[in-house]
Amino acid sequence: MSRTSVLALRLAGPLQSWGASSRFTRRTTEPAPTKSGVIGLLAAAAGIERGDDGRLAPLAALRFAVRMDQPGTRIRDFHTAHHGVTGASMPLSERFYLADAVFVAAVEGDHDLLLALRDALRAPVYPPYLGRRSCPPAEPVDLGLYEDTRLEDVLASVPWQASAWYRRQRRTPQALTVLRETAADESAAAADVQRDQPVTFDAAGRRHALRTVVTDSVSTPIPSGGGGPQDAHDPFAALEALENESA
Amino acid sequence: MNRIFLDVHALQTVPPSNLNRDDTGAPKTAVYGGVPRARVSSQAWKRAIRTYFRDEHLLDPAELGVRTKKIVELLADRITGLDDSVGQETALKLADETVKAAGFKTEVPKRKADQAKKDGGPAPAPESKYLVFLSSRQLDGLARLALDGAADIAAFLKTKENKARAKELADTRHSVDIALFGRMVADVADINVDAAVQVAHALSVHRVDNESDYYTAVDDENTDEETGAGMIGTVDFNSATLYRYAALGVHQLADNLGQGLREDEPRTEPVRRAVEAFVQAFVASLPTGKINTFGHHTEPDAVVVKLRTTRPISCVAAFEDPVRSDGGGHLREAADRLAAYASDVERAYGDPETTLTWVLRVGPATQKLADLGTEAGTLRELAAAVGQAVAERLEKPA
Repeated sequence: MSRTSVLALRLAGPLQSWGASSRFTRRTTEPAPTKSGVIGLLAAAAGIERGDDGRLAPLAALRFAVRMDQPGTRIRDFHTAHHGVTGASMPLSERFYLADAVFVAAVEGDHDLLLALRDALRAPVYPPYLGRRSCPPAEPVDLGLYEDTRLEDVLASVPWQASAWYRRQRRTPQALTVLRETAADESAAAADVQRDQPVTFDAAGRRHALRTVVTDSVSTPIPSGGGGPQDAHDPFAALEALENESA
Repeated sequence: MNRIFLDVHALQTVPPSNLNRDDTGAPKTAVYGGVPRARVSSQAWKRAIRTYFRDEHLLDPAELGVRTKKIVELLADRITGLDDSVGQETALKLADETVKAAGFKTEVPKRKADQAKKDGGPAPAPESKYLVFLSSRQLDGLARLALDGAADIAAFLKTKENKARAKELADTRHSVDIALFGRMVADVADINVDAAVQVAHALSVHRVDNESDYYTAVDDENTDEETGAGMIGTVDFNSATLYRYAALGVHQLADNLGQGLREDEPRTEPVRRAVEAFVQAFVASLPTGKINTFGHHTEPDAVVVKLRTTRPISCVAAFEDPVRSDGGGHLREAADRLAAYASDVERAYGDPETTLTWVLRVGPATQKLADLGTEAGTLRELAAAVGQAVAERLEKPA
């Protein structure tokens, strides 16, 4: 049997938007990245064209989970368009975004496939975006490939990815919410369903199937130190240490 | 595959202004790093870029596209332009059939038809049900096809071969703006074009709270005893130092543009021209929301362009911790932070062997950015240098 590994991604940026059921002029976002959005990001990085359902299938079959490290706030964007010739107003639309959010998404499956996807993320054919093209990620999304392990274990061990300001502002939460797919040997009795299992990204009509989603929580792993590549002077760092001591 | 990405970063200070407003009239905002920020949506700035292409004649109009519902009338004009013996009515009929054969649905707008009937005017031309984006070259191709079948257009376009030709004409030789920003047609998905460029929402690098300007206007002709304002109102505004970012997939752009438009030029030539136009337009364009009220005519204080083979990297995280003004504005610290972050993130994730960097900057506050790459003296020089490097990269074997 081939090895099962897990690829973890950090999805962070000023804005993200993960639609699962948007229609017409109201474009909503789910509170967390959707499977179709994240699989789409990976497929795009690997250069899988829209409509190439054969190459998409193994990606769509990966087991998916997402951890809400910093839920963010929902903002509404009011969108107008004007007629190219007459200048008359076109229908108004509303778009929703998650501002200031950070998630850890993870996919579990065949090691070699995940290795190829990780490399694709580093030198993608189509660059990644967080649900909508105008939402580029703020930092490289690749958090590493974890070998011979399971989704649950990785999400319980990857350090808390919340931004430095957020960690300063709030005490470390007891637990982080994880939305994950059931494992093969698990009953889906307590699961919700969400229509974001990608079937095809064909431009002629994207289709999604229903997917079972279990809501769990994991106790917060150790916050990641340093705050990423930025190593700015942080006068609150000293206070934070004191706070942690007294907690 | 030969992957080439272009990252464009810009710092731009705008004085009190309202470039892009929401439905309450207030400038758009977002929350980042836990504090409110000024925001200019990507779609607002993309529109400014398109307008800039046209107004500044950066590209031959034949290379630009038009976005309209009046596609039938537009094509009819092309047809009569090519052959003035065709009457207006015939031209409209030819155009309508051809547009439909290319896959766009059209219909006569009911309200206009009713109005015409009431006034006894001529029946209005059919319109597409959505905005259709076609390049000038695509329109010319369709017009020629329509004339070829002018004898019996319906029968002509019924043949499989001609129908396929109509579709193909609408799907090749995309205009530069379609190739950059994409095209989405809901019910003819096979002629959609995926955008080669990602434009991020511009965000202020510092905390911004919208302000409200209360104004009164005097009635010059009011000589009554009771003086007072002729009208009163409020205008919301803010001022900001914005971080603007776009990523361009040069290989995607090359795919979208297809073969060179002329036989006598190298395949890379249209890509080079498109890249130069994009760099110039992204840097110099400005959304015009309330520009007559605020006159916010500024240019970026600093521009950093990177040409790379690894994934594009936004430097917005440099400003997640909001810049605080020390009484000397936000620009200096924003430039310092961008310089530090860009080199840090490059060290951690970049590929120094293959990455080229250019800088265009104004004034001493942006001094630290100078070390990031080759300094360009003018925007034109910057665009030309980037275009040249892109063409060289494209010609290299994958």
